[in-house]
Amino acid sequence: MTQVVQAVWGGILFGSVYGLMALGLTLVWGAVRLLNLAHGAIFVVGAYVAYWVTSSLHLSILVALPIGVLAAAAFAYAMHVAFIRPVLGKPGFDNATLIATVGISISVSAAALLVFNPEYKVVPPVLSGYFILSGVQITNQGLLVIATSLALFALVYLYLTYTRHGMAIRAVSQQQEAASLMSIPVERTYGTVIAISGGLAGVAGVLLSPFFFLSPNSGFNPMIQALIVTIFGGLGSIRGALVAGFVLGIFESVVEVFYGVAWAQPGVFLLIILMLIVRPNGLFGIGEVRRL
Amino acid sequence: MSSDAAVAATRAGPRLDEAAAPWRRVSVYTVGGVVLAGLLAPLVLTRLTIGAYLLTLLILFFMQAVVAQSWNLIMGYGGIYSFAQVALFAVGGWTSGVLVHSLGWNPFLAILFSPIVAVLAALGIGLPTLRLRGVYVVLLTLAFHELARVFAVTGPRFISGGGYGLVSVGTFQFGDAVGDQRTIYLYYVAALIFAIATFVIWRVIHSPLGVAVTALRDSETYAVSRGINQFGIRLVLFAISAFFTGLAGGYMTHYNGGISTTVFDFPRIIDLLAMIVIGGWGTFGGPILGAGIVIGLDQYLVAIGDYRALFLGLILAVIAVFAPQGLWPLIRGVYYKYLAPESAPPPLEAPPTAPHEGGLS
Amino acid sequence: MLEVKGLIAGYAGSEVLHGIDLTVKDGEGVIVLGPNGHGKSTLLRAITGLLPPRAGSVFMDGKEITRWRADVIAAAGVIHIPQGDLLFPEMTVLENLLMGAYNGPTWGERNERLGRVYELFPWLKDRARQLARTLSGGERRMLALGRGLMSKAKILLIDEPSLGLAPLATEQIYASIRRVKEAGLAILLADENANHVAGLADRVYLLETGMLVREGPAQKLLQDKALLESYLG
Repeated sequence: MTQVVQAVWGGILFGSVYGLMALGLTLVWGAVRLLNLAHGAIFVVGAYVAYWVTSSLHLSILVALPIGVLAAAAFAYAMHVAFIRPVLGKPGFDNATLIATVGISISVSAAALLVFNPEYKVVPPVLSGYFILSGVQITNQGLLVIATSLALFALVYLYLTYTRHGMAIRAVSQQQEAASLMSIPVERTYGTVIAISGGLAGVAGVLLSPFFFLSPNSGFNPMIQALIVTIFGGLGSIRGALVAGFVLGIFESVVEVFYGVAWAQPGVFLLIILMLIVRPNGLFGIGEVRRL
Repeated sequence: MSSDAAVAATRAGPRLDEAAAPWRRVSVYTVGGVVLAGLLAPLVLTRLTIGAYLLTLLILFFMQAVVAQSWNLIMGYGGIYSFAQVALFAVGGWTSGVLVHSLGWNPFLAILFSPIVAVLAALGIGLPTLRLRGVYVVLLTLAFHELARVFAVTGPRFISGGGYGLVSVGTFQFGDAVGDQRTIYLYYVAALIFAIATFVIWRVIHSPLGVAVTALRDSETYAVSRGINQFGIRLVLFAISAFFTGLAGGYMTHYNGGISTTVFDFPRIIDLLAMIVIGGWGTFGGPILGAGIVIGLDQYLVAIGDYRALFLGLILAVIAVFAPQGLWPLIRGVYYKYLAPESAPPPLEAPPTAPHEGGLS
Repeated sequence: MLEVKGLIAGYAGSEVLHGIDLTVKDGEGVIVLGPNGHGKSTLLRAITGLLPPRAGSVFMDGKEITRWRADVIAAAGVIHIPQGDLLFPEMTVLENLLMGAYNGPTWGERNERLGRVYELFPWLKDRARQLARTLSGGERRMLALGRGLMSKAKILLIDEPSLGLAPLATEQIYASIRRVKEAGLAILLADENANHVAGLADRVYLLETGMLVREGPAQKLLQDKALLESYLG
């Protein structure tokens, strides 16, 4: 019974996290058609800024959280202005942004290393404490992560569906020329989406770091997971990110609990290969034109 | 690209780096000169005190250039965004390493299997992956890289060596040669591998296969409609790329006397990427030039430690966005203008491109 | 209201418009007739910012808008109903219409505007929650027009409204455009044939290989069947 609870808890927890990271990735892909390989770096920016606020400024994590998120969003926006906006609409966009985001990723890692040194850092959780359920430790921070992830999904969905700017983002992602004919400022929209995506990565970074020690390369693995989830759920689909996050999270957790950690990654890898063979668009992707 | 524009493009001449009659485009003197320099280098360098060190640098350069060229072949030319290059290098390295370490084979024999196993691995990755669009290739190859890394670190002892990789693997033996003399032999082996790889890649680029690849890269739907088998071509390129990368991996294992799991570290991927990007993405000479630059500069950059990664990442990003053609086209321009004007390719008219529709292609 | 002077525009490697001069006065219905491929769409795109002109200028109400961004031009009341509709495929009819009213001031009045568009195209209201990509050709065209009307348009630039439509839908769309013009909106309409434009045209230009070769009052030019046939085939 303990094992089942462990698997389910782990699954829901991983699932929320993956989903949150995937949400940012899929938003940017759907709206800007950009594969943001710096997503992990933005995650790390948020986490390190929060760490710095708590350890150097000695402020509460409650203050550090929004600061970290804002820092991540600002960083993402800066990256957009410097490296993405200049090549928007140009034929070499895919190449340029792929390499640029990889380069930024490396630079951020190196910068974190230089500023903070390679030792693992501890980012305090927002909620501490836990309770035991069938022999499994259920942390309050974990519950917070799950709740936050679901809340953010809901917020993003509502934003995109019912607000003027949210709808404009969807419009831009579906028919860019027509959007500009509606007086929608396309470039500014891209910037907004990227900033929002950055903020989401920042939230993930700050809330997740308490579980694993923070190091300059902490963002790499979550980003790979996010990529897998995004593709599994369907590029550009928000619903897909949410569902795929949980499906893969639970799958991985179950494999880990019942077959050992070594099989978790390969298992997920096999699952994604299967999905790509059977249904390359992912769960909710539609053709190559799936938009938000 | 509209079909009209694409037809016009193919009529204007295939957009190759060197025009369609390769033999005439490269001056015999240039090639001869380079080959001669390559052959004589050790004899000259060993006269210098740092000569042996320079030779080892050259060996490193040769191997890195091979891997960079191979990666550029699939990524710059083929448009296949694979991040499995380093993993394939590792596969090659481990193959020959294990054959020597566990089975006691002679390195010269074992190294022949590196490219073969690497190609098999590449086909294994390629078959499911190469049918899919760019972004999926990125993901799956990254995932393969991770898998390979995890396997190398946590796999059975004869592979993982307890998590550090293979150590104390037999190295190349050239009779009784030691010290500088041995280095010279090692140099020639490396140079030979480099020469073969470079020649093959050059021929591939300038063959009908290469033209087809460029056509696919520049105007996919049109090329496919003209009967070009996209999947088959990608697979072939991928295999060729893996072949030489694996070979380089095998060589390095027996040059270093082992192969460590640090070979999977992300900085290695970045270094290779930097070579291709700085040198000239999608050009023939670019990765070679880039390898030279990165390795050359590294000697100075090692002093600044972690700042190196910081700058390298930024340079990558800046060049990719603001100077995507890299350095090679500039140098080639100088060469054709001043050194060998008679062999310059005729200027190609820029093919008309269709009006750009929306930003989301 | 809208003035175009010496407009030169084209795509990489080729020039399509070789110096266009035209005007549209307040409330006027101006038609640009020309065969396919001669630059009608290019002209409209160059005016509305989708294609930066190489030379020449465009003025709206006296203000130069020549190299402005498309969204800024739209905000100035120059509304382009593009060829092929360019609807937002995964959004509903209602959402498409709402996007037409994106601009700040119009957003506030969007419900009013919606009401007026529904009046013009009542069936759009029935289909409000349907995805745009599931609509028929005629329905799409009307949605595109309705979407354009959601804005504070001062002039409508319409690109080949009858393209790909069955006869009944064609009649409906021109009838709607006529109604819109009668309500006072200026229209610049690019078309391939002169069949349905009589009711809404005040002046006509003939466009041939990127140049305006004739201009005149609609009654005269449209009656001249021989002339039209020789130009439009």
